[in-house]
Order: sequence, then C-alpha cells, then structure tokens
Amino acid sequence: MAGAASAAAAAGVTDMADKDVKIGAALAAATCSLLGTAAPGVSVAADAEPQWDIESAFLYYGESDDRVKDLSLSAHATRDFGDERTLGLDLSVDSLTGASPSGAIATDGVQTFTSPSGRKTYSTPAGEIPLDESFLDTRFALNGSWSQPLARLYRVSAGLGFSSEYDYQHIGANFGLTRDFNQRNTTLSAALAYGQDTVKPVGGLPLPLTQMGDAVDDAMSPANRGDSNDTKDVLDVLLGVTQVLGRHTVLRVNLSYSDSSGYLTDPYKLLSVVDPVTGDLIGRTPATGASGPTGVYLYESRPDSRRKEGLYAEMRHDFSGKVLQVGYRYSTDDWEVDSHTLESRLRLPFGSSSYLEPHVRYYQQTAASFYRYSLANVTPLPDFASADARLSEMDALTFGLKYGHVTAGGNEWNARLEFYRQTAKAPNDVLIGNQIGNTQMPDFDAVILQFGYHFKL
Amino acid sequence: MRKVILLAVVCVSLEGCANLGVEPWEREVLAREDMQLDANALDTAFDDHIYFSKEGTSGGRGFGGGGCGCN
Repeated sequence: MAGAASAAAAAGVTDMADKDVKIGAALAAATCSLLGTAAPGVSVAADAEPQWDIESAFLYYGESDDRVKDLSLSAHATRDFGDERTLGLDLSVDSLTGASPSGAIATDGVQTFTSPSGRKTYSTPAGEIPLDESFLDTRFALNGSWSQPLARLYRVSAGLGFSSEYDYQHIGANFGLTRDFNQRNTTLSAALAYGQDTVKPVGGLPLPLTQMGDAVDDAMSPANRGDSNDTKDVLDVLLGVTQVLGRHTVLRVNLSYSDSSGYLTDPYKLLSVVDPVTGDLIGRTPATGASGPTGVYLYESRPDSRRKEGLYAEMRHDFSGKVLQVGYRYSTDDWEVDSHTLESRLRLPFGSSSYLEPHVRYYQQTAASFYRYSLANVTPLPDFASADARLSEMDALTFGLKYGHVTAGGNEWNARLEFYRQTAKAPNDVLIGNQIGNTQMPDFDAVILQFGYHFKL
Repeated sequence: MRKVILLAVVCVSLEGCANLGVEPWEREVLAREDMQLDANALDTAFDDHIYFSKEGTSGGRGFGGGGCGCN
C-alpha cells in the first residue's frame, strides 16, 4: 500500500516535470515572439529543458513592543548547465527598523542616553528597559556559487559572497569537496569558508569600557571614540557525512569548527555601572549647558578571538509520503556559550497537490563567561564585559506552520507563519543587591510571516 | 585529543555504513524533492539569518547566517 502511494507520488512528480517543460517552452516561445525572434529560435526553445530553478520569498519579521522589524526579499536561483554542473545565485535585500535593547538596565527613574552618533540624546521612561531607537538599516547581500563533478564520485564547489550595510561590510569565499562511497549511499564532505567583515559604526568605534559622554555638535568628535572602523576575520571548517539508512531514511552529520578574530565587540551595546552594594545605577550630571547621560554607562568589551566547535545531525524519514525531519545541534565555544538546538518539521501532503508542514524548534544556551547584568563600580574593571542579552543564559521556542500548493504548471507557492519567544535569564550570581528578585530581561516575542513562490524558467 | 577521538568515531561509523544503504533501483522515495536534505533552502537561510542575529550561537548546518552586522 505504502509502495503504491509512493509510486503514485513519483508519477505525479514526473507529470509535473513534464508540465514544467511545456510551460517553460510556452513561456520561451511567448518571449521569443515578443522579442520578434525568428521561427527557428522558437523551435529550439520548445525543445529546451527548464534551466533556471528559482525560489523567491518575501519575509516579515516583527518583534513585540515595537522592537525590531525586518522586511526582506530573497531569491535563490540555480541553473543547470547539464552534466551536473550548476550555478547558484542568492540575492537578498533587508530593511530593518525599530529599537534594540542597549544592554543598560531598567531603573525607577527616567534615563537619558547619548545616541550612537554622539550628536543627540534619547530618554527611556522609568521602569522600562532602555532601547536604542536609532536602529535602522538596509542590507544587501549577493552570493554566487559553482558546483560540478571533479572526477567519478567526486564533486567540487566554490562560492563568493558579499553583503553591505551602511555600517558593515562582508566579503567571503568558500570551497567544498564531496566524495561518494558505497554505491553513493555514503557521502563524505569537507568545506572551508573564509570571511572578512568591516565594522564602521556611526560616530566611530567606542573605546572598550569607557564612559558614554555628553552629546556634542558636528564640530566636535564624541567622547571616548577611537578609529572609524575595524575588521574581523572568520574561518569556518565543516566536515560532514551523509548516509542513506534505508529506502525511506537519510541522515547527515556535520562537525564544524569556527575561528573568529579581530573586532568582535558590538559597538552599540552598553553596561550600566551600579553601586557594588545596592546594585542601583550610579548617577551622573551632564556638563553645564550640555545634554547627556544621567547615569554612568560604559561601552562593552569582548575578547578579540572566539573559537566554536559544533556537532549537527539531521535526519529525514518518509512515512508513506509524509516526511519527518529531525535536527539537533550542539555548539560549544571558548566564550563558554554552550547551546543545544532541537528542531523538527513534519510535511503532511493532502489533496493532490498541497501540503501542511508544522515546525517546532527549541534552543537553549549558557551565558558567556564575561556576561554581566550590570557592572559594579569597583576597580579594577574586568578586561571583558557585555550586558548583551544574546550572550546571557536563555532559551527560545519557535512554533510554526507552513502551507504549500503546487500549481498545475508544477510551480509552488507557499506561506509560513511562525511564533518565536525568547526568554533570557540573569541568575543571582550576576546580580547585585536590590537587583535580586527585581530584574527585567529584554525578553520578546516575534512573528515570522513568509510568502514564497518556487518556479522554473 | 577530543577531535582525534571524534575522527576515530566517524571512521568506525563509516566502516559500519558499508552495510547500510540501498540499491540504485530502490531510490524512488529518496529521489523525491521533499526528501532532499537541502530542500527549503530559502526557509533555512531566513531562519539562520534570524537566529544568527538573536542568539549566541550560529552555523552548524552549513555556512549560512553570517556576514551581517546584526550580531
């Protein structure tokens, strides 16, 4: 019975592929006639296989309490040049707006901060977590890759990537090699990626663990800023095994190593300096005639290197046409951030051409060794400190559902709705005095809504 | 040392893998698009990008998610 269902499904796929060819040929013929191409060109096009496979999607990501919102457009295109030689192109544009937690703690009074540019100030109401409102960015990313057989059983791939934001640039290259064994039931892969990023924050790079100063006019440079930009290098190594376990099951296991060095600090993150006994914010008075911070806030400081090791396993199993996907990732690094991620999707086909796919993901991490909820006003200061909640102890849960429909032409449109909840924790050993039992972590909920269209040209 | 042990485990597992797998004519289900490990590449790329910018760990599946000033 199961075999019959699978055979029917396979036959359906073949039908759709045939329709693709016809639709693609019709489109090509229509294009040719629009361009006024001669009839022989049309007959060649009518025989051609579809060559571009394009996945396109629009994504909305929105956090609760008017925090970060992201609108993103992406396309992933692959072109088959025959003989298993493929070109891949990825294009992505993001537009980010909203406010992001600065790392400073909530207090009983209104707090004033100098903006990242050092030119203006903004205030946070009493009892609220300080958010940096100037979070606004447009990101453009382009990746290209080429993959082809190298010899029998070997396959090689190489890629280049580039992304740009107004305060951040990335260039990267990657190279991969795979070899099949055991009647292509086992594939070993090795891949290497190198990236260099340039950070150019508004107002210049803050000097680590120095104090936020008063706002200044355009003629002066903001206090405690160093160079205008810095770089970081990231080297990633991935070793993987893909194994067919049976007619219905395939497994992949990856070992990964990542080495980052250079400027790894977040130039926009702060730490509140507090009384070492009470845990209350140390007050500050701006200079006469100036506007500036009403508390003592330091710019954060992270080590200039980070080494991560990871294990990733993913399995897909078919139950009479339903596909269960289960993934697990363990990651550990020398910042002492250890994490476990467990993720599962279940693809449930229904009708002749639709499917539903529920998705669940659980993530949990330990805090970085230098994570602080706030910084006690004592000397000497630690070498490294960050109040970035992304480096705190946390867990996160995602629930989602995707619906997909394959059209008569063999193309697919789909929609995905997901909910993400992140809960950060500050254990008592990072809290001081009155903070115990009285903390506010920048927890948030987010909605992810995506519309996609997958077609062939 | 830990890496050497891991490598040894992988090698021993590979030895065992020689007994696993299917014949070429038994790949009907495995060849389906929804059984490909890289299916949903765009969803995965979006997810990697989101979690990269919101959590302390990233990567593992591939090289996705990096090259962004959001973390």
